Amino acid sequence: MKWENFRFALFEKAPEALWEHSLIVVITITLAILISVPLGIFLSRPKFKKFGLVTLNILNLLQAVPGIAVIALALPILGLGMKPAIVALLFQSLLPIVRNTIAGLLGVSSDVKEAASGMGMSQRRILLEVELPLAVPIILSGIRTATVYVVSIGTLASLIGAGGLGNLIMGGLALFRPEYLLVGAGLGALMAIFLDRMINYLEHRITPPGMGAE
Amino acid sequence: MIELEQITKQYPGQAMPAVDKLFLSIPKGEICVLVGPSGCGKSTILRMINRMIEPTSGIVKINGEDVTRTDPDQLRMGIGYVIQQIGLLPHRTIAENIAIVPRLYKWPKEKIRKRVDELIVMMGLDLEKTRGKYPAQLSGGQMQRVGVARAMAVDPPIMLMDEPFGAVDPIARTHLQDELLRLQKEIKKTIVFVTHDINEAIKMGDRIAIFDAGKLVQFGTPEEILTNPINEFVEDFIGRDRVVKKLNLYLAEDAMQPIGCVVKGNELHNVAQKMKDAGAQVAFLLNDEGKACGQITVSDTEEFGRDIEGLRKRVLRREKAFVQTTTPFPDALSLLLEYDTDYLGILKGEELCGMLSFKGIRKHVYRKEGE
Repeated sequence: MKWENFRFALFEKAPEALWEHSLIVVITITLAILISVPLGIFLSRPKFKKFGLVTLNILNLLQAVPGIAVIALALPILGLGMKPAIVALLFQSLLPIVRNTIAGLLGVSSDVKEAASGMGMSQRRILLEVELPLAVPIILSGIRTATVYVVSIGTLASLIGAGGLGNLIMGGLALFRPEYLLVGAGLGALMAIFLDRMINYLEHRITPPGMGAE
Repeated sequence: MIELEQITKQYPGQAMPAVDKLFLSIPKGEICVLVGPSGCGKSTILRMINRMIEPTSGIVKINGEDVTRTDPDQLRMGIGYVIQQIGLLPHRTIAENIAIVPRLYKWPKEKIRKRVDELIVMMGLDLEKTRGKYPAQLSGGQMQRVGVARAMAVDPPIMLMDEPFGAVDPIARTHLQDELLRLQKEIKKTIVFVTHDINEAIKMGDRIAIFDAGKLVQFGTPEEILTNPINEFVEDFIGRDRVVKKLNLYLAEDAMQPIGCVVKGNELHNVAQKMKDAGAQVAFLLNDEGKACGQITVSDTEEFGRDIEGLRKRVLRREKAFVQTTTPFPDALSLLLEYDTDYLGILKGEELCGMLSFKGIRKHVYRKEGE
């Protein structure tokens, strides 16, 4: 181990890698939320409940494919770069959010929904003012799972030229420079922990008093 | 007025209809209690009034208008709805919960705030302490108070209450019942009240509708139902203590008799003579301020004879043997038994205005029974 290599990895290489990695994570998770939450809402409506199981099973299957395989499969179809990486990661991050959105919405007490409907709140209002706010802590918990997942699998994205912290790790492996490896993996871990804690804090912040965690 | 015309509700996959060709007319400004064993269709009926459930056939009319002509959300906004599970929104404060329907009506903020405060006070809750709390921070009884306040927020003429006090503890339940009755005297709403508890039905109802297996068995005032149960089912449902339950319908003033004799503290030595002269079986003792503070019966005077101090002690032991004009019979009877006497003084406020006797109660109930 050489201090010189370590310094170079941390100060010269890491900033750009970290930036790319953050970009991958933020874009992927934003897209995942935009797709998963509406999908979860849709699948939790009484009319469409029957599609719920099928969809969850498909998403489960996508999730079950190893991350590296998805990345590798994305290459011939979508080519190189950040875009195919994001699409590949997206497939894998949908499941926890959809699942938690459905669970959160269905978990809202039927008494509360009945009372709201009995007072004359429209179904739309009940969704926006009652069901979603009550489900948000659980949805956030799904987002948290997905985020941590994308941060770690995101390191594989460098295999198809998406950059990110994976560059440091792969570079370290190729050049026999454990310092690179250490910086890449370490920063990845720190990022995952940081995001996990941050979303966890959010979850608790928005849970009203007396309702307990989750 | 709410009219149900030939209402039938048939749930899919069930052999018997939950509600079967029901006609029922609920008068304005009264509490109408729907009562019956579990599964008799009473909740279904209630929920068909605000279209939470749609009838299979038949028409529900409110003030002569078919409810299916109104948009269900609009209809429900205009009808108070209280359920046993309360269903407060857990993520909203008490004030926000009460403000839900006013907000649906787009009331200005200031008006909503005032109304919410008024309701919190009206429900006997501490304004400052309650406003900003979340439902989970209240007791069951307090939560249901908020539930009732929320239903009354826009002062709807009709309230539907589905076993509203079924899940609170007995003491809180009694309080809530008493308060609703007290409020009802002022607000005069048309209340449809579902319960499975016949005692609650007797207490709350101006009219009671008894259901069995989706059919209306008997509809009438509590007195009519307790006096003339139409068949064995109603008789069984009311219970063997039918006449005792009837006692709840009467107040001390209903059987009030004039007072035969009052004495002052210094007249105890010739109380026997005074009672004889007045032809009274009981005399009431007044203290120096003219307030009633005891009673003497003929048998007391015979028992103690010349022993004035013994008599005084006996008299003062019954210092609390008085009821108010509005005391219901069962409470009065309890006092009669507690003090081992046949008579109670009746007070109006602090003033002695009559008396109630065991015999008087018996006669009153018997007369009503014979009618």
